[in-house]
Amino acid sequence: MGAVTDDEVIRKRLLIDGDGAGDDRRINLLVKSFIKWCNSGSQEEGYSQYQRMLSTLSQCEFSMGKTLLVYDMNLREMENYEKIYKDIENSIAAAHEKISECKKQILQAKRIRKNRQEYDALAKVIQHHPDRHETLKQLEALGKELQHLSHIKENVEDKLELRRKQFHVLLSTIHELQQTLENDEKLSEAEESQETQMETEAKQ
Amino acid sequence: MAPAEQAVRRSLELLHMSVFSQSVSPCGRYLAAGNNYGEIAIFSLSAALSSEAKEESKKPVVSFTAHDGPVYALVSTDRQLLSASDGEIKAWNWAEIVKKGCKEAWSRRPPLRSSLEVPEINSLQLNTKVGQLAGAAGGDCAVRVMDLESGAFTHELRGHRDYVHCLALRDQLHQCLSGGEDGTVRLWDLRTGAQVQVIEVHKYEECSRPQNGKWIRCLATDSDWMVCGGGPALTLWHLRSVTPHHRLPRCRPQQHVLFYQDLLLAGGQGPAVHHLQLSGEVKARIPCTPRAVLSLCLNERSPEHKVLTAAGSSPKIDVFTNLGYRAFSLAFA
Repeated sequence: MGAVTDDEVIRKRLLIDGDGAGDDRRINLLVKSFIKWCNSGSQEEGYSQYQRMLSTLSQCEFSMGKTLLVYDMNLREMENYEKIYKDIENSIAAAHEKISECKKQILQAKRIRKNRQEYDALAKVIQHHPDRHETLKQLEALGKELQHLSHIKENVEDKLELRRKQFHVLLSTIHELQQTLENDEKLSEAEESQETQMETEAKQ
Repeated sequence: MAPAEQAVRRSLELLHMSVFSQSVSPCGRYLAAGNNYGEIAIFSLSAALSSEAKEESKKPVVSFTAHDGPVYALVSTDRQLLSASDGEIKAWNWAEIVKKGCKEAWSRRPPLRSSLEVPEINSLQLNTKVGQLAGAAGGDCAVRVMDLESGAFTHELRGHRDYVHCLALRDQLHQCLSGGEDGTVRLWDLRTGAQVQVIEVHKYEECSRPQNGKWIRCLATDSDWMVCGGGPALTLWHLRSVTPHHRLPRCRPQQHVLFYQDLLLAGGQGPAVHHLQLSGEVKARIPCTPRAVLSLCLNERSPEHKVLTAAGSSPKIDVFTNLGYRAFSLAFA
């Protein structure tokens, strides 16, 4: 058991070796000088040695105070780091959530873009064809012209019919008159020939 | 065969490998890719995307030979992976595949007109609401609709005059669109099996590029809008009025296109994936390893592994975690 604890002691000593060159030696020197001082006889030397020992003691106490402060500081730094670590973890989780939100938004936006592009494509084709209002107006105008022209045509045809009928009446009256004149002439000729016949018969 | 010869043979195979199709598992953690040698490889996306990913996690978890011919199309239902090749459709249970059991659950052959030609099945689309599978058969110009529960082929939609390359589904209207080599996009009603409309894409001046031909290789639809491309330029169409809108700017023939949020992702004969906005502008052009991109797959089934994978004429499959750049590549061997 002595060997084990010795090992541990050696290990610890080697570990603390960073500062041990100064402090450890100082403590050893203090112990040695204390023993020397106890064994020394003379008064003035003893007093100066006593002063020297006090100063080394205060130096040791000073370095111990320093290490305690450093230890405190390390503990507080650890706490600080723990806090920062937790904060960072929280913000990572929040960022993950934001990322998934944004992904959803991207999908939505892509869908919108797709719809918009389809709409644009259809709109382009539709633009190729002429405007509906214009074609309607053109149709109306053409319709009106058609009506107007057919109106005129009807009028002209009516007039034509009327003239034709009038000419017909005129021609038929002329014909009748001609017939009557011819009939009259024939009658008068027939009467003359009858009269000459009667005269010749009367002479005989 | 001596191991050295095998190694040489394998490296030649890798040189000529093209990955034609990809599909994501229902849980979203695995990606299945089919190549032109008939092999299907399953990659674990969760392992490859995790922070301790190593070289090994970028190789397939399991890889097996599914068909004799190339695997042209892959699609996943809730529990199964369906793969299509020359004239047959096979189903594999995801739970078994992940545990490295490679037995197929069932296999069906669509009824063929003549038994001489075996037409390849170019594309599969799943209509989950009704439990139907619509597969495009290339060689004999028909689109066949299969009922998943009974396994019977219900409709055969004929009308195309040449190979059918691609399919897209318009869920709300129970329609499917098919595009083919003859340059037409045809809309079919899935309930009656009748052809609803024909759009002859190459006849519209805005999008036709006669120097490339009139074939339609890729279709994507959003119920109101459709994008189709191939020989004619990649154009956005409004389906109700059947008018082409924007011709998406000059690029080589596109092989696969997807709608994603407000973008169109397209890949084709250049080694790049294009991001295009619906208004027609090119938002980004991202280079990738395959020299020609034949298949794009977006994993929407699992929010943690939401990636875009691009595969094509290369044994590597590029994975884009953020759509803006290529994160890493999965290798097929």
